[in-house]
Amino acid sequence: MTSPPTGRPGVHERLRRLLFLVPFVSKNPGLKVAEVARAMGISREQLLVELDLLTLVGRPPFQPDDFIDIYVEDDDRVFVHLDQRLLAPPRLTAAEGVALFAAAALLKPGAGDALSSALAKLEGVLPPEAVGRYRDMSRQLDVTVEGPDSLADLSRAIVEKREVELDYFTASRGQTEHRRVRPLELFNHRGQWYLSAHCLSRGDQRLFRLDRVASLAVTEQRFDALEEPRPRPMPSADASSVVWVRFSARAAPYIRERFGDDARDVGDGEVKVPVTGDSERWLTQWVLSFGGDATVTEPQWAIAAVARAAQASLQSR
Amino acid sequence: MERTERLLDLVALLLDAAKPLSWAEVRATFPDDYGGSADAADRKFERDKAELLELGIPLTYVQATDEDPEGYLVDRDAYYLPEVGLTPDELAMLYAAGSAALASGAFPGRQDLAHALRKIGFFAEGPLPAPKVRLELGAVANTDELPARLDALWSAINSRKSIELEYFSPRTLAVTKRRVDPWGLALRRGLWTLVGHCHLRGDVRVFHVHRVRSLTVNTTRPRSRDFEVPADFRLDDWVATRPWQHRFHPPIDVTIRLTGELAPLAARLFAVPVTTFEHGTELVVRATDLDGLLKYVLSLGEHARVLAPRSATDRVTELATLVLQQHGGQP
Repeated sequence: MTSPPTGRPGVHERLRRLLFLVPFVSKNPGLKVAEVARAMGISREQLLVELDLLTLVGRPPFQPDDFIDIYVEDDDRVFVHLDQRLLAPPRLTAAEGVALFAAAALLKPGAGDALSSALAKLEGVLPPEAVGRYRDMSRQLDVTVEGPDSLADLSRAIVEKREVELDYFTASRGQTEHRRVRPLELFNHRGQWYLSAHCLSRGDQRLFRLDRVASLAVTEQRFDALEEPRPRPMPSADASSVVWVRFSARAAPYIRERFGDDARDVGDGEVKVPVTGDSERWLTQWVLSFGGDATVTEPQWAIAAVARAAQASLQSR
Repeated sequence: MERTERLLDLVALLLDAAKPLSWAEVRATFPDDYGGSADAADRKFERDKAELLELGIPLTYVQATDEDPEGYLVDRDAYYLPEVGLTPDELAMLYAAGSAALASGAFPGRQDLAHALRKIGFFAEGPLPAPKVRLELGAVANTDELPARLDALWSAINSRKSIELEYFSPRTLAVTKRRVDPWGLALRRGLWTLVGHCHLRGDVRVFHVHRVRSLTVNTTRPRSRDFEVPADFRLDDWVATRPWQHRFHPPIDVTIRLTGELAPLAARLFAVPVTTFEHGTELVVRATDLDGLLKYVLSLGEHARVLAPRSATDRVTELATLVLQQHGGQP
């Protein structure tokens, strides 16, 4: 059973932590208290409490050498002298295996890639008793991420530090350009995937929207990652390209869930929200997908664009 | 003695034992902990054993052999995590995925995941890879309660405990209270979905976790299961991945034709077999939410067209006309 991560940890959580802590310090002798605490995901104070508890753990006949001997030396470094056979962590539990496999699904493992082979190796070291439970539990956590097919390739390129060639559609110029980039970070913001990369063609860091990458190839060329992705404000529409969309009372509760305070009441249970209008195609598709429950109220060009798209659909029928 | 300490003592004792240990020997080792009546001591030891098994400790009771007496034993080979032999790239990919899930803030089993990552990194030489993939899983605005809800649900699912829910429906705008046997959690389109047996409706129901207004897990008899999950249960059968898969009405087969730039994308857009013709591709989609399908087709633009049945073609025309009129156009 998993206890909630807040508040005082339960017995299960503490045992799990302590059974890892002893072999971890054994393998990494002399780490600073702060480093061990960080690796364990706990505070310095919590770690010191755990170390105190461990010194009480032993086995018969409970002579001095029968206790775990784990200690902090003067300069704040942690050592284990006697580990009482806690020389490696326990194997993964079924729940740990399932959580890890579900997380891996976020990066869309594909046949033959490093993620798939890693998962196969891990399944091989689950304890025999856990395998059945693991199979059972895998039915209970199912993660599917809607992302472009390029997600797996780009994750691999980032992890393996490989340069990538891509054809990118630049909305402002209305054309597709060939770029060679050093991929740094992938992220998802409001359902949209972005790649942060050092663009060799431009000699600077750039943000690429994955839905505008027409094609890409991971090259054999590896690079040294000296550069960190720059923190930056999330991509947002500038005021001039904001489009207002009004939603019917039927759609409004769903829109409120999604947009929170950005959804403004306009009476009769209806709401309106501002969205980015930098892609006419995305906008018309999005409005049409509500089939009459969404209406663009301004600006005029956006209203006309949706009308054109609806007209085109009718004429093709 | 504190329970955590006693359990660790037990692990140390069993890992070191050269031969199986009888319950009498264990009890003699911890006279204070397993004191009192024989019944009370038995029950306490049963709970301790259950906790050790839950931690994945391979504790077994073996029958007597010529050499050894009967008793409890921990299989050391099965206890220790072996070297998994991950390549640096494999480890880095797992770390990227695991850290992305942890950093997303809303992933069930965060503690399990954190422990799993620590364990697979145990044998790694050098610093562990830094995360380079970030996810914002929340497709909803207010996600403050989500992490705690997911953890509570994951715990209830794993221990097969029922839950009490207060659930908000955006369709009826009402909050209903119900008891649910949670069978599983699924992530689709950035939304976490709970599937389980709803006692209020007496049937399987699907809930969006962000619409849960309150949640309590049944804490009585924590080690006994409140329910079993049917052997043939699959989350994918219940959770809509596509907008036409919500279970709103009996299935309708709808024929769709894609032309132009959409034709080669047909299989990806609809995830069904397609037939290619000179003028494009055709496919048949089984919809249990016809409006969901038709709105999706509409959003694909003029190169997507509904061919049959008549009820579907009429409805898609109706929807497109409505959009056109609302944007000042005349059909």
